Amino acid sequence: MNPTKGGWAILLTLVVALILAVVHLPEWWPQWLGWLRPNWIAMTVFFWVLAVPHRFGLVAAWLLGVVVDVLYAEPLGLNGAVLAVLTYITWSLYERLRMFSALQQSIILFFLLLLGEFVRMLGLMLLLEREAQFGFLTIALASALLWPVLRFTLERVQRGCSVV
Amino acid sequence: MKALFLRQSGAGYLLTSLLVASLALMYTELSSSMLAGLRGSLATALSPVYFLAELPWQSSRYVGDTFSTRDQLQDRALLLERRVLELSQASQQYLTVREENARLRALLGSRERLGRDVLVAEVVGVLPGADRHQLIIDKGHADGIRNALAVIDEHGMVGQIVETARSSARVLLISDVSHALPVQAVRTNLRGIVSGTGRLDVMELDYVPDSADIREGDVLVSSGLAGRFPGGYPVGVVSAVTTGQGQAFAQIQVRPSAQLDRSRHVLVLFAEPDLPEPEAQEQDTQGQDIQGSSP
Repeated sequence: MNPTKGGWAILLTLVVALILAVVHLPEWWPQWLGWLRPNWIAMTVFFWVLAVPHRFGLVAAWLLGVVVDVLYAEPLGLNGAVLAVLTYITWSLYERLRMFSALQQSIILFFLLLLGEFVRMLGLMLLLEREAQFGFLTIALASALLWPVLRFTLERVQRGCSVV
Repeated sequence: MKALFLRQSGAGYLLTSLLVASLALMYTELSSSMLAGLRGSLATALSPVYFLAELPWQSSRYVGDTFSTRDQLQDRALLLERRVLELSQASQQYLTVREENARLRALLGSRERLGRDVLVAEVVGVLPGADRHQLIIDKGHADGIRNALAVIDEHGMVGQIVETARSSARVLLISDVSHALPVQAVRTNLRGIVSGTGRLDVMELDYVPDSADIREGDVLVSSGLAGRFPGGYPVGVVSAVTTGQGQAFAQIQVRPSAQLDRSRHVLVLFAEPDLPEPEAQEQDTQGQDIQGSSP
């Protein structure tokens, strides 16, 4: 990533996404909100790949995934593979996806994350012998619902820091 | 147009090689511990992320403490005073009982059990998601923490260390689905295995026969049989027993003794330094325990 032309803004949003991914909510918030935790990292990657596809590549997505593995204590390489595949699919469709409205992008994002989270769950079941959960559904749903808000915010960031 | 096509075909190769790299990483990590160092140093670099992620929760506690009313504070002070009284009484009893125990052990010819070294650690992070029960504490291998050490709080067993970084470590809670530990009931010495259910307030006592003498309110302590956990620390209290459904084993629910979702400080128990083979030794002392308690 090139630090000029707003590369630091991309990095900063990714760091914020990492923090949001493990944020510990205040104690009076209900426990079940844990099931509705959106995948902030994949959403942020989705945004930057759509907005500046030449700035955010597969290797960056994969390395970010290794960081996520450490953060979540999951097998090294699992999230890297998932994020790289999501980046690849988004990348190959970005010219069409860019023209979509926020709602249409939400639907695409829902199915992308459904795939990604499902693969991740399968990996965890195989490697760590976790039990099957419906988390992949709720995470994809929460992410799709929050996408318009995140897109609006990140567009502001992109314009403010003139990321091109 | 041509450039676009070229770039995309190149990306396909790149994606394939990244996926192969992922598989290689996963395989290496499963089959050896070569990557533990890499994971540890990355975790060390990432500790500020956990610190920032913990701020909303910490500040909500701080706000709660600061803006509590006078009545609430008085109530709490009263409660704490009463608790101090109870505890000081218990500790006096404990002193005499400990001396007596040491004397009896000396009579029996068994080695006196050493007090364990402990290290106080602060909880600096929790893993997100309702289905994952892990904590992050602020002491790591720089403080001598290793994998598989037991972690307790002031009420009982919390979990065990599963990953260490330089100045932080990850604790797997006893309530995690993948966790199980050997226990015994204080009242009857009945042995069993408590396994997590993925809920913070309920665990299960497995492999206890339908006809066994166990009832609500029985206190379970760690038995030390597997060699990983030290014996004698409270694990939980039996909260419900369901028997007689034509099954070989009773369904027993256990409420954890430790405050798994709100303890702020925990104690890491170091293994006894002069025990080369913890498993054999633990079983040995266990055998002595049973001999000692039978009349």
